[in-house]
Amino acid sequence: MKKYQADVCVVAAGLSGLAASIAAAEQGLKVVTLEKNKVTGGAASMGMGPLAVGSRLQRMKGVNLTADEAFLKHMHYAHWMADARLVYDYYRKTGDTIDWLEDMGIEVIFTGGTLYTPTRMRAFAQPEQTGHLIAPPPGQKPGPRCAATMTRKMTERMQELGCELLLETPGKKVIMKDGKAAGVMGVDANGEEVEVECKAVILACGGYGDNPKMIKETLDYNWGEDLFSFRIPGNVGDGLRMAWECGAAKSKMMMELMYQIPDNLNHFDLEGAFRQPLLWVNKLGERFVPEDCIGNTATMGNCILNQPGRTCFTIMDSDTLKYYKKKGVDFPGVQGEEVFDHFDEAAEAAKEEGYKYYFEADTIEELCEKTGIKLKGLQETLEEYNADCDLGRDTVFNKDYHFMRPVRKGPFYALQSFIGAYGTLGGVKVDRKFRAINEDWEPIPGLYSVGTDCCNIYGDTYPFVLPGNTMAFCLNSGRMAGEYVAEYINE
Amino acid sequence: MQIIIDNISVECQEGESILEVALRNNIYIPHLCKHPDLEASGGCRLCSVEIEGEEFPKPACSTYVKEGMKITVRGPKADETRKMAMELILAGHPSECTGCPKYGKCELQSMYQFLGASPEHWHKTSKPVPDNKDNPLIMHLMIRCVRCGRCVHACRDMRGVKVLDYRHIKGEIRIGTKDGVSLADAGCRFCGACIEVCPTGSIMDQVGLITEETTYADAVVPCRATCPAHISIPEYIRAVKEGDCDTAVGIIREKVPFPHALGLVCNNRCEEKCKRGDLNDPLSIRNLKRFAAENDKTQSWKEKYTACAPDTGKKVAIIGGGACGLTAGYYLRKKGHDVTVFEAKKIPGGHMTSGMPAYRIPTEAVLDEVKVIEETGVKIVCDKKIENAAELKKDYDAVLVAIGTSVGKKLMYLPGADLPQVYTALDVLQAQRLGIDYDFGQTVNIIGGGNVAFDAAGTLVRMGKTVNVVCLEKDASQATPSERDAALEEGANLFDSHSNEAILAENGRVCGLQVHKINSFSFDPDTRALIEDAIPDSTYVIPCDSIVFAAGQVTGLTDAFGIELNKFGYPIDPATGKSEYTTSVEGVFAAGDVITGTKFLIDAIAGARDVASLMDKYLGGDGQIDEQLVERKADPHIGRIEGFAGLKRTELKERDAEERKKDFDVSSIGFTCEEGHCEAERCLQCDLRLNVSRPHFWSDFK
Repeated sequence: MKKYQADVCVVAAGLSGLAASIAAAEQGLKVVTLEKNKVTGGAASMGMGPLAVGSRLQRMKGVNLTADEAFLKHMHYAHWMADARLVYDYYRKTGDTIDWLEDMGIEVIFTGGTLYTPTRMRAFAQPEQTGHLIAPPPGQKPGPRCAATMTRKMTERMQELGCELLLETPGKKVIMKDGKAAGVMGVDANGEEVEVECKAVILACGGYGDNPKMIKETLDYNWGEDLFSFRIPGNVGDGLRMAWECGAAKSKMMMELMYQIPDNLNHFDLEGAFRQPLLWVNKLGERFVPEDCIGNTATMGNCILNQPGRTCFTIMDSDTLKYYKKKGVDFPGVQGEEVFDHFDEAAEAAKEEGYKYYFEADTIEELCEKTGIKLKGLQETLEEYNADCDLGRDTVFNKDYHFMRPVRKGPFYALQSFIGAYGTLGGVKVDRKFRAINEDWEPIPGLYSVGTDCCNIYGDTYPFVLPGNTMAFCLNSGRMAGEYVAEYINE
Repeated sequence: MQIIIDNISVECQEGESILEVALRNNIYIPHLCKHPDLEASGGCRLCSVEIEGEEFPKPACSTYVKEGMKITVRGPKADETRKMAMELILAGHPSECTGCPKYGKCELQSMYQFLGASPEHWHKTSKPVPDNKDNPLIMHLMIRCVRCGRCVHACRDMRGVKVLDYRHIKGEIRIGTKDGVSLADAGCRFCGACIEVCPTGSIMDQVGLITEETTYADAVVPCRATCPAHISIPEYIRAVKEGDCDTAVGIIREKVPFPHALGLVCNNRCEEKCKRGDLNDPLSIRNLKRFAAENDKTQSWKEKYTACAPDTGKKVAIIGGGACGLTAGYYLRKKGHDVTVFEAKKIPGGHMTSGMPAYRIPTEAVLDEVKVIEETGVKIVCDKKIENAAELKKDYDAVLVAIGTSVGKKLMYLPGADLPQVYTALDVLQAQRLGIDYDFGQTVNIIGGGNVAFDAAGTLVRMGKTVNVVCLEKDASQATPSERDAALEEGANLFDSHSNEAILAENGRVCGLQVHKINSFSFDPDTRALIEDAIPDSTYVIPCDSIVFAAGQVTGLTDAFGIELNKFGYPIDPATGKSEYTTSVEGVFAAGDVITGTKFLIDAIAGARDVASLMDKYLGGDGQIDEQLVERKADPHIGRIEGFAGLKRTELKERDAEERKKDFDVSSIGFTCEEGHCEAERCLQCDLRLNVSRPHFWSDFK
């Protein structure tokens, strides 16, 4: 068995663990950080950047949003189903955290501007300008995964500060002594046990998105059947399990829902092509959402969750396909604006592979047979919808008339969507100092939980209105916990 | 010679690449297509460095050192080349990592983390490629492939299998098999080298093979991990394939002192986990062990095997001369302790010589292996029953209780169970093997339907008896089908789905078993009481002269043994209240069936290894009992074998039933040399993967 001694043991080196390690080390504490994987950064390495409010960069761009405003907007959006004190402290910290990152040599950029928001979504889904990006190396444009540069710099920073980072060494168990967290047992790549003796433990294990069994037990989603969420390998709920074993109370568990087609990477262009304000129906053949609102992936996830079979279909006809190929998409998404340039190729590949979720049919009858949509329902919907298209007005949902394109001319094309998610949120009940608390709301001395393991600030839905929240919560909760730990140890 | 890298002067030798020298000196140079075990191809250009006096950056992996070279790793020109190279690589790779099973362990991910991601022109050249999960053991998720060629080199050069190569597929260059045939048809040997060297999530183990519950090594070589004694199975099978049975036995003996016995009777759980099972059938691992043991001509391992550490002056007594006691005795003697084994029966070997049928495991085979143990200086005292372990401890520094479960159980609630002609299966086996005379009469009814019932049946058949096996389970489903069928072929009768009512007697001697038929049965989960769905009015009598219970075994220990027992007669450690290697008396240890309940030979041996290590530490030693007995070869170049995936498992042949029932000779026929070689050749050699070097990540450098 290998033994280490430290003031603080941080379990996992994702964004929250990296932030916690650095913050604690900056307070002069000796830190040992265990990481299951070979690459640090966890899910953050595939992200783009965190939310911040009141950063220097925002002020320079004339973005006036204050922490107070963001806090109120957030809490209203979450229906106050969150620890207001924690959320307020968090928003107040976010601006300063950008400076903190810059001091580490991480270049942060703020481009301003937000995603295109159609008229009818603006009331509830027009994002604030909170998203910050991590600058890539000189000469490159920021894009997907650019936050990896941040996680690298943070990894280097923590090591400069003297933190010991043990890669491929998962934490397995928190050692409790006299009711206090006093160490962590882990195991290295060769199977040898590792013991870290310490005065405080920060669990930062990133939830349980890679644990379908636990997802089924806690949330009743069936991964691969009615849920196609991302599974960050290794996020199996270690942080929750370890905290609960020490007597921490459970908090509400959820997934930040969105929507998704299965195996989306291989059908990226198809997904982009159908993420348009087309006709969206459920299995009954009925419309269930004003389709100009599909751009809010979070609320759209909720919509699909409440349809029969937790699924839906997007349908377009040949005229619309022709139109899109010529004029381009209505909604440019992450898949880019040119998805229809590759549509035929993508459709061909899907058919050749036998992809079960893409459909082509010459008639509506055939489409219903292939998709399992109720024919009578779809026929009635089409009658009404096509008449409305002719009328130029959506009499059901009042969808923007620009998007009223009939579904009339075969062949017809359809794509089936399901709920998806990035991962899970919540599970460990914490107080505003990120101390794990028991059923009596008493802190378990020396035990902290940060990042998605304890993230209970959203109420029931990801706050689309304040983009960058999940990454920012990991970053700031980790940083704050690292500072609070110093307070605890120096007491 | 000396060269300078980033102003640091480093020592190096002619013929080394700049990359090698830098990495060895803890200077990181990004690289992707170069794997430590493979030839450099210089294709990815990520390792570009600037060399003083050279106009253009050079790939560090394929540029060799020259005296006085001055190298700058991250000069502007090199960085420019690297940036372009990274863009090109990422252009053919999905722009999202979501859903990738390699995430967190991916070299490409680590690389973009190090270099910064460059999203320009990304999904312009990334075209969809359907996942191929149809091959056994190996998944191809080629949308993630960056065409570094490492898998091709590993398959072609390192392994000599030549299955993977660059192919023209739909106007693109992709990695695949010739004409896109399945891996099996292409001649793949499923060695996994391609998985090992793939820097991205393009070639991966099938879902579920690598789990967090076990170490990587255990997941990659599941047979060895599953074996309770962790015998290095792939290594000894490789030796058998090479025709080197001595080395094979040496490898087996590094973990167990009874290779032949295990080769005959091990319950081979390793085979259930053998990855070859995903192709067609698992390796016949147990039979190869027997083959090795029976062809171990020179015993080249022996000198090292019987050499002991200098005497420690510590005395150890072992109660019970079965597999557990003898194994522990062997290892303790090796550590220099003075070991005496006390065996109650007239010969050592425990169940191997008196609790299993002779036609499965002949006495001489076991005694030959015991003799080797004795050669180390272990003293074995037979016919000596120890009544009190605590008393014995007074004369010894440590005592091991390894008496097993050597008393057969009778179901005393069954009316008539106390009659004189009521025996247990162990009585039957001992009667035959130790020559004890029991009054079985001509017809014997065996109650029970597990393997032991059929062991007793086969033995009684060979003793010329008429045998009826009566059990609750339909088709005696508790027993291993092959063992059941062998006994039935030899003439035993099966009365399945039968429940017992009473043992009947006439003039004080057993005359029959009263039974009725059942449709099904179960046990109450709380009380373990039998719940049966009986067929009405089906009661009748199966006539017999004696009854044999095959209803499990117990320790037979009582408080008079001097150590604390639980209510079932198993020793416990009062510190935990459970059966452990330690007992209530300091210095008295316990292992094997006596603490685990009746298990298998290999479990007793594995337990003996653990307890020997523990006892050695107790006696002041280091507890280290592992020893390398023989040198072994592991040629990574396994080459092609046509039709490899389809090679059929060789089964052991049984002697004809009519023939074998006439004697107690071993009923199965060991492999011929050709059979042994053919079977060994089927091994996937999963362990070779673990010899592949691990690639370098930037985070390994400080």
